Amino acid sequence: MISTVTLNPALDVILEVDDLHLNEYNHVNEARLFAGGKGINVSKAVRACGRETIAIGFLGGGRGRIIEDALRNMGITTNFWHIENKTRSNTIIYDKKHNHHTLLSENGPLVNEYDIEMLLSIFYRIMSQSKIVTLSGSTPPGVPDNIYATMIDIAKNRGVRAMLNASGEQFSKGLEKKPFLAKPDLRRSNKVFGIEINQKEDAVRAAKEIIERGAEISVVSFKQEKDIFATKDNLWFAETTNHKIVNLIGAGDALIAGLAVSFTEDNNRTIEEAIRFSMSCALASAMSEEEEFDSRDQVTACLNCVNIKKL
Amino acid sequence: MKIKDIMIKDVTGVLPDCKLYNLLEILSRKRITGLPVVDKEQEVIGFISQHDIIKATLPNYLGIVNSGSILSEFIQLSKSLKENSHRPISEFMKKSVITVDENDNEVLAADLLIRNKVQRLPVIRRKKLVGVITLTDICRTLIKKRTDA
Repeated sequence: MISTVTLNPALDVILEVDDLHLNEYNHVNEARLFAGGKGINVSKAVRACGRETIAIGFLGGGRGRIIEDALRNMGITTNFWHIENKTRSNTIIYDKKHNHHTLLSENGPLVNEYDIEMLLSIFYRIMSQSKIVTLSGSTPPGVPDNIYATMIDIAKNRGVRAMLNASGEQFSKGLEKKPFLAKPDLRRSNKVFGIEINQKEDAVRAAKEIIERGAEISVVSFKQEKDIFATKDNLWFAETTNHKIVNLIGAGDALIAGLAVSFTEDNNRTIEEAIRFSMSCALASAMSEEEEFDSRDQVTACLNCVNIKKL
Repeated sequence: MKIKDIMIKDVTGVLPDCKLYNLLEILSRKRITGLPVVDKEQEVIGFISQHDIIKATLPNYLGIVNSGSILSEFIQLSKSLKENSHRPISEFMKKSVITVDENDNEVLAADLLIRNKVQRLPVIRRKKLVGVITLTDICRTLIKKRTDA
């Protein structure tokens, strides 16, 4: 079983209008709701690969129940801790005429010490059913900056591999606990340990630094669909080719999902095979209009569009 | 049809040392009436429902629920709940819990739900909780099956 943690999920609301006029009445052609959040996206991609997954984290209010229902309808097992405050919402206004996307993002809800204690209790129990756990994304107000580090400790003590995909203090403190895999979340800042990631060489330096700091495998993305993978002894450059990207949201999460699926399947995949599969998951996600792809066939179709070079 | 194909894929459980007021908070936030009680390995060791709590805190409440004195009994019930709110749910839960395996069929689940007059059954795989099943889920699936046919 692959478990995912989403501490700050969101209900993504996409409102489509023909031509947005500020300060005027606007008719919405279509309103679509999606369960969002990095860990949730990982679970969606894992499920699309045909594998079982449990999603845990914080949810609150009616929005939280909508997210929970949506995930269960996709076949994702849930065990969220329901907090008093409501889950945040991201509203995206899509102006068809100008092809503009306006994002209105809410702050996450405040969680308290009791919520954190309860979530860690759930996390401990869920580890008894897990082989790998992914810890992804931002954290809401009230969450200590070492929560991922605490979770990595628990996971390791229970024989579960932890994959960390976060930023800032959560990432550096998590790395101190030596997770199985670490990938910095570069959405808000392209800097990792003072290294600005612009070129391949920067990504290589960052990937090596992450290994030095304790991860068994590191992944650093740079530019669109280009990644560096590193272990203690090896480095790989991987990129995808020959494709039409529609939507990059969720591609990095699909990559994490692909690695989690590869490392928990019984056929002893090599790291290179895992890289190919994960890059294919990312590509399949980028080629889908939704945040994630629908089936493993879409991933298989992308396997030949991945170039991997050992450095 | 296998239960795993129609169950609610939610593995929320409570530990036996969970306090009664915390349990009521969970039930209210999740808008459900009962939960499996699990150990730290996520193995099902009991079940706790609102019915069990009412039965334990005010034994005669359910018996007079249809009588004219329900309001005064309700006040007594809330007082009793408050008094018991710090007690662990292990004191109220059903210890002889009925479970179904995820590979059992829906007929067995429906039979157990009706025969034992319970609203939710924990679904297990090798003793560990993997979901819950209710009569509503079974009926919904049967109706859908009929519509699709």
